[in-house]
Amino acid sequence: MRPLSEYLQSFLLVELLRGLRLTGRHFFSRSVTLEFPEERAPKSPRFRGHLALRRYANGEERCIACKLCEVVCPAQAITIESHQRADGTRRTTRYEVDMFKCIYCGFCEESCPVDSIVLTRLDTYTAEVSGERVLNKQQLLSMGDRYESQIAADRAVDAPYR
Amino acid sequence: MSQEKVTIEIDGRTIGARAGEPLIEAADRAGIYIPRFCYHKHLSVVASCRMCLVEVERAPKPLPACATQVADGMKVATRSAGALDAQRGVMEFLLINHPLDCPICDQGGECELQDQALGYGRGVSRFVEGKRAVADEDLGPLVATEMTRCIHCTRCVRFLEEIAGDQELGGMHRGEQLRISTYTGEPLRSELSSNIIDLCPVGALTNKPFRFRARAWELLSFPMVSVHDGVGSHLSVHTYQGRIQRVVPRECSTINETWIADRDRYAIEGLAAPDRLREPLVKRYGEWHTAGWEEALSAAVAGVRRVLEGHGAAGIGALLAPHATLEELYLGGRVVRALGSANVDHRLREGDVSDQEQAPPFPYLGGTIAELEQADAVLLIGSYPRHEQPLIQHRLRKAARAGAQIMALGLRRFAWNFELAEEHAVAPQHLVSELAAVAQALGERKQRKLPQALRGLPGGSVSEPARAMAKRLLAGERAVVLLGNQALSHPQAATLRALAALIGEWSGGRFGVLAAAANSAGGWLAGALPHREVAGRPSAEQGLAADAMVRAQLPCYLLHDVEPEHDLWDPAAADAALRQAEHVVAVSSFASERLREVADVLLPLGAFGETAGTYVNTEGRWQSVRGVAQSYAEARPGWRIWCALAQLLELEGFAYPDIAAVHAEIAGACRDVQPSSRYPAELRSSGATSADGGSSSAPGRASGQGSGVTLALAGAVPIYAGDALVRRSEPLQQSPLAARLEAVVAPETAQQLGISHAETDEATVRVRVQAAAAEALELPLVVSSTIPAGTVWIPAGLAERAQLGPPFGTVTIEAL
Repeated sequence: MRPLSEYLQSFLLVELLRGLRLTGRHFFSRSVTLEFPEERAPKSPRFRGHLALRRYANGEERCIACKLCEVVCPAQAITIESHQRADGTRRTTRYEVDMFKCIYCGFCEESCPVDSIVLTRLDTYTAEVSGERVLNKQQLLSMGDRYESQIAADRAVDAPYR
Repeated sequence: MSQEKVTIEIDGRTIGARAGEPLIEAADRAGIYIPRFCYHKHLSVVASCRMCLVEVERAPKPLPACATQVADGMKVATRSAGALDAQRGVMEFLLINHPLDCPICDQGGECELQDQALGYGRGVSRFVEGKRAVADEDLGPLVATEMTRCIHCTRCVRFLEEIAGDQELGGMHRGEQLRISTYTGEPLRSELSSNIIDLCPVGALTNKPFRFRARAWELLSFPMVSVHDGVGSHLSVHTYQGRIQRVVPRECSTINETWIADRDRYAIEGLAAPDRLREPLVKRYGEWHTAGWEEALSAAVAGVRRVLEGHGAAGIGALLAPHATLEELYLGGRVVRALGSANVDHRLREGDVSDQEQAPPFPYLGGTIAELEQADAVLLIGSYPRHEQPLIQHRLRKAARAGAQIMALGLRRFAWNFELAEEHAVAPQHLVSELAAVAQALGERKQRKLPQALRGLPGGSVSEPARAMAKRLLAGERAVVLLGNQALSHPQAATLRALAALIGEWSGGRFGVLAAAANSAGGWLAGALPHREVAGRPSAEQGLAADAMVRAQLPCYLLHDVEPEHDLWDPAAADAALRQAEHVVAVSSFASERLREVADVLLPLGAFGETAGTYVNTEGRWQSVRGVAQSYAEARPGWRIWCALAQLLELEGFAYPDIAAVHAEIAGACRDVQPSSRYPAELRSSGATSADGGSSSAPGRASGQGSGVTLALAGAVPIYAGDALVRRSEPLQQSPLAARLEAVVAPETAQQLGISHAETDEATVRVRVQAAAAEALELPLVVSSTIPAGTVWIPAGLAERAQLGPPFGTVTIEAL
């Protein structure tokens, strides 16, 4: 036999009123939804978004075609071909990332001895035709050029923990 | 080293060893790994890296395992705290000056230093001072250097001194200034130089053409066999995305130990040469047209049918490259025989095959390659194995270092890398008589007479060098007589073979022929011969040998991987024959300008590594390999092309499902073939031993017309001109050993020409060389005392000298 208080509670709709109180509180409190894309959520400097290739300040590409990112990539999204450039340095002739394969694990960035391949904060991008999913070296470098200041600032913030 | 067996204990395990052998060897055999850098089983022990320090009971300090000899009851600890501490200490010192540029280093991923730093190195360096940097040196087009990475193990120095035979690298300065250098700044000249790449435990010496092409971990490795000489060195071919990227040696103690020749390693650089044949081509009204396989094959077959109808089967001749696979040679021979002709041959660089009826089943070394190093007296006839079979030279050099008396009877003196007991260079027309003199000298000592067929050779009196050679051969217990490439292409090669075989027999040793090409032996077994079918069965019909085929000017030629201007004994006659021919089908990997001029149909052939096949080396060893690389454009394996041709010609018995079926058929037929190197002189017709190499006028005398001097011509195929692939390998052609076309004469001859020594030092003197009825050739003149008087040495096998005809003969030379 149920105690009397339970009869009272159900008779007086206490639970319903409690629920309505919660609803009412949220109804009048400040909204947390962001008006994407006009509004963006704050991101950690460690955010793992779109890939980019960086350059040194003098404009020289950082990548030395060591192929460590290629071999570490668990999704096998990276394809590299290398050669000896006219000045005798080791460079890539081809650096491609299949963005459909990429799982944004960040292993490539961790393996890179020269901080060339990085994951930027960019998390919104589209491809309209199938072929666009594969980014070539030029596209990745221009990605790096565009976001270099942000990339460098993020790396500087994270440097003490690396 | 004594053979006494002792028992030692390593890390608590009791193992058997030979007394006095290096501790590291005993440990290796027992599977106990001791880290090392400078130790290599085929090189001398220097104990300079100190990485192999181990603790030995009752020794006050750790001892280097490579320089510690095994003694009975020894107790060794390789992983004790003391040993590990010593090894870690050494590793820390080694890394002090190492640049740690692994990401851009080609050795990265297969680097002994990298591996051992992982096992014995510290995570973080304690070294804060500046690192040493060393200026690079240019070692030529084959080996790239990054001397800052060098850890001074001196393996390269020891290899070049002990194995390759020339001390081309050395350790200069000392202490921290120590650097490995040539000192002279000259590029490496050794034919085995690139082995230092594999020996280098770090990335100081790397493969120059392969530089930055791929990383070690992304390459697939396949077993392969070298095709550039008759040795059949074991190789590993490394491919990346279906393309051959590099070649490294595969260990085989009985053939090539752990070495390969530079030729074996870098020939692959020619695989993508600009004149590589991409698709079948058909010539119509003098213009080349790209065609599909079906169209090209039917054009080839239509031409053959036309000739069959017009001239009969005897009008068809096939010239097959001696470096083609056994299966290609077999099918090529069978197709020609099925058409009713017997004109098929693979002995393209041989001019005298008159002893072919009595010849053994295949040209045989007379034993194994490894046995050569046990020889104590060796006579090399017309041979320069250093450039012809570099790994045979390696065995001979080992024999020489063990005290063997090595003698050379040849057409010029060469730059040997060991001390020869005797070296006798004679003009080509005297080679036979000099060899006969050696035989006669042997006969005098053994009281035997030359057989009837070999008597009456010019010369008669036994010369002093011949007597000395005979004496040394008899003094040896394990004498070896070897006939080399130059003797085989001599115009009296048959007589040389008979004499050499006789000398081998009389000296109580063995006689062998050094096979010039990968399947020089296999071609005989496969039946790519005018007088014998597969496994030496006599041919129903007698056809023409290669040179006779060229001279007969047949209406139809089938060429398999042959470049007539390079690969044939008489390129001038070959050119004329192919030009007059009605129909020429060339199955070829490359289409040179000359081949395009003479051929009517070009069928692209899969080259080295792209086709499966079998090679029979000079010791009669069958070695089969798989095709490991993607086929190049439309190129197809040769056995498929021959089968397709046969089927279109409606010949019976060419429906093979795969190459294994072809191989099984040949192997089955050859099951009972016994190798032999007997060339009986008695059975020979005496006519073939006529006097002086086919030259009628006496060389060495000023002839009537102009100021020209008539000289005997001699020449050998240079080391990097042997086959189409090697000729197209850019790095090899840039190396110091690459062929230079020049006329080399003795100082006496130069005087006759009216040229003084002073002029020739600047190498600006040019001469006009004229062979009978051919256009004259202008060549730079070099004066060298290595050439016998009355002879002019002009390299064979080069397109630029094709008009001079065979490598031997008579030419008139005139100073310009």
